[in-house]
Amino acid sequence: MIYNWKKIVRFGLPLLTLCIFIEIFAGQMLNLGQKTLVAFPIFLISIPVINGVGGNIGSILGARLASGLHVGYISLNIKDNKMQENLITAILMGIITYSILAILIYYIVSFGGIQMDIGLIEFISVILGTGILLVCIVSLVSVFTAFWSFKKGLDPDDIVAPVVTTIGDILGIMLLFLFIGAVII
Amino acid sequence: MFAKEMLKQSLPLLIFCGFGGIVAGSTLGVMIEILQNIPGLIVVIPAIIALRGNINTAFGSRLGSAYHLGIIDAENMCNNELKQNIIGSLVLSFLISIIIGILAYVTTVLFFDIHPNPLKIILIVLLAGVISAIILTLMTIVIIFIVFKRGYDPDNITGPALSTFGDIVTIFCIFGSAILVEVVI
Repeated sequence: MIYNWKKIVRFGLPLLTLCIFIEIFAGQMLNLGQKTLVAFPIFLISIPVINGVGGNIGSILGARLASGLHVGYISLNIKDNKMQENLITAILMGIITYSILAILIYYIVSFGGIQMDIGLIEFISVILGTGILLVCIVSLVSVFTAFWSFKKGLDPDDIVAPVVTTIGDILGIMLLFLFIGAVII
Repeated sequence: MFAKEMLKQSLPLLIFCGFGGIVAGSTLGVMIEILQNIPGLIVVIPAIIALRGNINTAFGSRLGSAYHLGIIDAENMCNNELKQNIIGSLVLSFLISIIIGILAYVTTVLFFDIHPNPLKIILIVLLAGVISAIILTLMTIVIIFIVFKRGYDPDNITGPALSTFGDIVTIFCIFGSAILVEVVI
């Protein structure tokens, strides 16, 4: 027998507890901004999208860098061409995805008959501002975490995804409130 | 060349996951009243979504590795290895849910001087955490079973599928548990 539930719990508990600690702060930020979210439900609806896309792009980039480092076609160098190409594509993919989803959310919500005191251009600028900045930071964190863990002899596949999704969640919510404040109020 | 391949394979999946995010977000939008009625409830949302994501992705990827190692396959699914994995995921969900509830309560009291009912918050998180764990574990097994039957590589499928359905199922579970606890207590 390879798997043992006690081992799974023992290995999972410390990392998960750490993640949960950070996520609770993301939750408290939602708590702090609850009035804004109640006034503009469209932003509450956007939160899983913003965080989901950011986390996914960071994880995809991390998995690709991990494979490249393991196989050897990516070297541990900030000037590595393949790494930079992956990084730029990840950011580009983020910009495309957030643009499409921002327009979709706006029209789905307006067809759903939810009250909206915000124009399409304002909404898109908030989501794109948040999304682009988030994707840039998350991608850089992904590169840094992949390189750092590989250098330490750890497997980036195990480390990058949880690190990137946790940081992405807290940053996504923070940036969203920042851009709502800048564009609307 | 790298960029093109990455865009072609990942972009459709990212947009599909974005749709899942919109469904999850709309459910949050519907919950707005109950979020206002139960102070502190909004705090647990990022944590419980992250808990679900982390535990189930790990569960899915362990089953993927077990498949590659030849420990489980479509004809031989319900063996002890799978049982140990299921028990491990459920015990982790149970423990971390309690930690989330306690942390949410303590931080809300500390930061905002708002006193939510601790029993209510912990009970909602625990119910939502355990029920979503059971639903998603069953879903993972079904997805893995179908993937095995078709002869695909589970590593390519389970991650995105689970992260998309995971958010939706989890938010529904929080919603359901909140209503249930609100009625009972």
